[in-house]
Amino acid sequence: MSVSDSLDEDLCMAALDEASRLGCGYAEVRLHVNTYTGYSLRSGVTEPTVLVDSRGVGIRVICGGSLGFGATNVLSRQSVVEAVNMAVKMAKASGDGGEKYVLSAEEAVSDNWRVSEAKSLYELPSETVVSLLRDVDSASNREVKGFSFPVRLLRIDCSTEQKLYMNSEGSKISSVVPRVSFHSVFVGLRDGERVTVSVPPGYSGLGGSGGFELIEKLRLEEYVTLRLTEIATTLSSTTAPPRGERVDVILGPNVASLTSHESVGHPFEADRILGREAAQAGESYLKPGEYNIRLGGAEAYVSDDPTIPNSMGFYLYDDEGVKARRRRLLQAGYVSELLHNRATATKFAGKSNASARAVRYSVEPLIRMANTYIEPGDWSFEELLKDTRRGVYIKSFMEWNIDDKRRNQRYVGLEAFLIENGELKASVNRPILEISTPKYWSNIDARAKDLEFYSGMCGKGDPMQGAPVYFGSPHIRLRDVVLG
Amino acid sequence: MSYDTNLEEVSQGVITQAKKLGCSDVSVVVTQNHTRLVRFANNLVTLSSSVVDTSIQVYVAHQTRRAVGVTHDTSPQSLERFVARLVDSASRLAPSDDYAPLPSGPFEYPEEQNYDKRLEGEELVEHAHQAVDAALKAGAKRVAGSLQSLVRRVHVSTSAGVAGDDSSTKILLNVRAFTEDNASGHGLSCASFLSEFNPEKAGRAAGEYAKMAESPRQLEAGVYDVIFTPTVVANILPLAEAASAYLIQSGVSYFSDQLNQQVGVEALNVWDYGVYKGGLGGRRLDDEGVPTQKTEIIAKGVFRNMLHNSSTAKKFGTKTTGNAGIISPQPNTVVFGEGDSTLEEMIQETKKGLLVTNNWYTRFQNLRTGEYSTLPRDAAFSVVDGKIGEPVAGFRLSDSVLRQLKSIHLISKTRNWVEWWEVETPTLAPYMLIKDVTATVAH
Repeated sequence: MSVSDSLDEDLCMAALDEASRLGCGYAEVRLHVNTYTGYSLRSGVTEPTVLVDSRGVGIRVICGGSLGFGATNVLSRQSVVEAVNMAVKMAKASGDGGEKYVLSAEEAVSDNWRVSEAKSLYELPSETVVSLLRDVDSASNREVKGFSFPVRLLRIDCSTEQKLYMNSEGSKISSVVPRVSFHSVFVGLRDGERVTVSVPPGYSGLGGSGGFELIEKLRLEEYVTLRLTEIATTLSSTTAPPRGERVDVILGPNVASLTSHESVGHPFEADRILGREAAQAGESYLKPGEYNIRLGGAEAYVSDDPTIPNSMGFYLYDDEGVKARRRRLLQAGYVSELLHNRATATKFAGKSNASARAVRYSVEPLIRMANTYIEPGDWSFEELLKDTRRGVYIKSFMEWNIDDKRRNQRYVGLEAFLIENGELKASVNRPILEISTPKYWSNIDARAKDLEFYSGMCGKGDPMQGAPVYFGSPHIRLRDVVLG
Repeated sequence: MSYDTNLEEVSQGVITQAKKLGCSDVSVVVTQNHTRLVRFANNLVTLSSSVVDTSIQVYVAHQTRRAVGVTHDTSPQSLERFVARLVDSASRLAPSDDYAPLPSGPFEYPEEQNYDKRLEGEELVEHAHQAVDAALKAGAKRVAGSLQSLVRRVHVSTSAGVAGDDSSTKILLNVRAFTEDNASGHGLSCASFLSEFNPEKAGRAAGEYAKMAESPRQLEAGVYDVIFTPTVVANILPLAEAASAYLIQSGVSYFSDQLNQQVGVEALNVWDYGVYKGGLGGRRLDDEGVPTQKTEIIAKGVFRNMLHNSSTAKKFGTKTTGNAGIISPQPNTVVFGEGDSTLEEMIQETKKGLLVTNNWYTRFQNLRTGEYSTLPRDAAFSVVDGKIGEPVAGFRLSDSVLRQLKSIHLISKTRNWVEWWEVETPTLAPYMLIKDVTATVAH
């Protein structure tokens, strides 16, 4: 399968015609092609290259007011028509016990877009990637602060997503998005003590949408070596963080970025708020009808923007054919905008803000974040530090979780340091920030300018859909926080 | 390829092509799934879907260089291009010490298959309504969930002359019930046979738990003896996954360096079954065409066996256990041994404790030591002086798997099948009472 193949418009048209013939009020068809190649090195040993390809058609219909979905990876006219019939049958089976599904009115769009690659991922020789991983492996296979790293798991993921979307309202959009990312896990060993850490920390990744040039720009050899040195220095610390007392905490972009995703992005997904994801991904602390509330302080600003060039969550139209734009979710602590698809938009008497995405042909589009971030402020990190009398700087983290209404979150620090009179002092061992969401967003009093992004896969839905996203943040400061 | 395509013919075509391209070893796993799904929320069906999907997994070894791929693009031309690309990828790698020749047969496969023909055409919506109605009757105000049926056919062929088929069915219901004040309860019904599937019971359990959990109080941080339901046990103790020889060899399992060591209490026994008769899912043969088997992972608290494919077996100087996964061995069906206790006895035994009925978002701080935290979800209760007390909320449990295995106080005779969002491998799990578990709260 090559991403240069043109996608079969006639096949999509046949699906829409069949849906129309069967009396559907609305139909959309998505011919969705994914290719993935994974390269990995385990402690210097080349692992098998992993290829995953998929190509198929997903069809959503609204029939008698109910939603039905069908999909097939048999790309014959007959099979696609059968899938439409199955989708209609499923919609009708919902009968009186089905939710009435109404879409917001949106403009029909015709467009063709792609993310360009200077170095095509599809044509990338394996040797180029493996050689880069070998260089990173050699550089990281050394002793730092008494720690050796006998286990080194390095991986580069290359994927391309190609779609042709058409709906019964006249939209026709084709797109190609290549993505590439780097991930690594190490086991550190010192005096019989073994710890597992990831670089970047928090099991996140580095990368974005584009070609292999994105990875080359990262200078991974240098980056990983530096991060391992810093991590080993911190792991050597036996100093306990100040526990049980109120201190100021500066969070590095690595930690703060995930808080924007977990405690603002997810709970602002309108389908969660309406209870549609209650059985799996959970709900939200926001309740239907209670949106004009103050969640945080004057420094709490969070946006989600699919249009950031070369970002992991980049797209120009969502999987309902709606043009993408930046969504400001939290403004000066107030709930500003939720993430909507066309169905939830109608329940809020508004328009979709293009948040619907499906990750492969065989699943329905759901409301997803794209690139969620705490907006930068006007401080420098040095100014933040200098302005802090007593506190802890948590640069990165290792473990995290949050409850399914997104009210109670926890991050265990990896690289962390005491702050005394505006200066970084000793490393401290595993400070735990376990805090309620309103308190977290209320206690932020300053944001730096140094916005950084990390890549990740966001899980939601049943069947599970892992969507590529960025989470971002500058350094931020929280006042009067108690650490565990 | 249509749903009725001759799987063996497709597989042989792939093997012939890869061998012509110079591969010494080829395995092909063709999987045909028909998945029906009904999702519901706020007591209404929100989506019905039906997806037919064929995938072909191909493993090739080219002069000890290895690659593995899965394609869902199954037209003959696409498949041919895919195999060529796969072989090309393998041939560009360095030779691998992990290479082991694919096992050659002939093999005899177990007869058991968990397959219920009735699930081929079973309509799901009525089952969803039964679950919703039962939860509402038990006191819930709104109910959400997903109900999925899966009909799977698998054909495995290898260049070592091995070929075999497998079929399985599953029906999985996950239901959450909510009361007016948003207290919630959870219920599961997981089966391979319609006769074992009970949506009403799952819905009722969710509704009853939700009702009992109304008006919870904030739990104080501290150390508690905790009773875990089978749903939670299957999530927080993924012991068969950690027994993968690949993860152990990679140094990212808490069972690394623990073979033949006492890792848990004597009452703890865990097996991996290829197919557990009358149970949930499973496979008769693995991705290398080797018959699956019953493997003792933990016996009387001792970590007895890793799970192997032929590559890890070579590395550890032993035989495959029929758990390929080409790269990493995978469990098929996890079975915890039954204990001799009951939930009632566990409650009676507990002076200061908790009953946790469901959880989510388990994350490890250190994969090597098994330190993790997890968030209770849905109904949780204090247990005081042998009785269930008030509902509690707003806490997480923070512990280490290795500490917990040695702190299991009671294991129930009753075991339930668990497979859902938070537990991917079908698991037959008991209730457990584990001593001295740390609960933390937000500051």
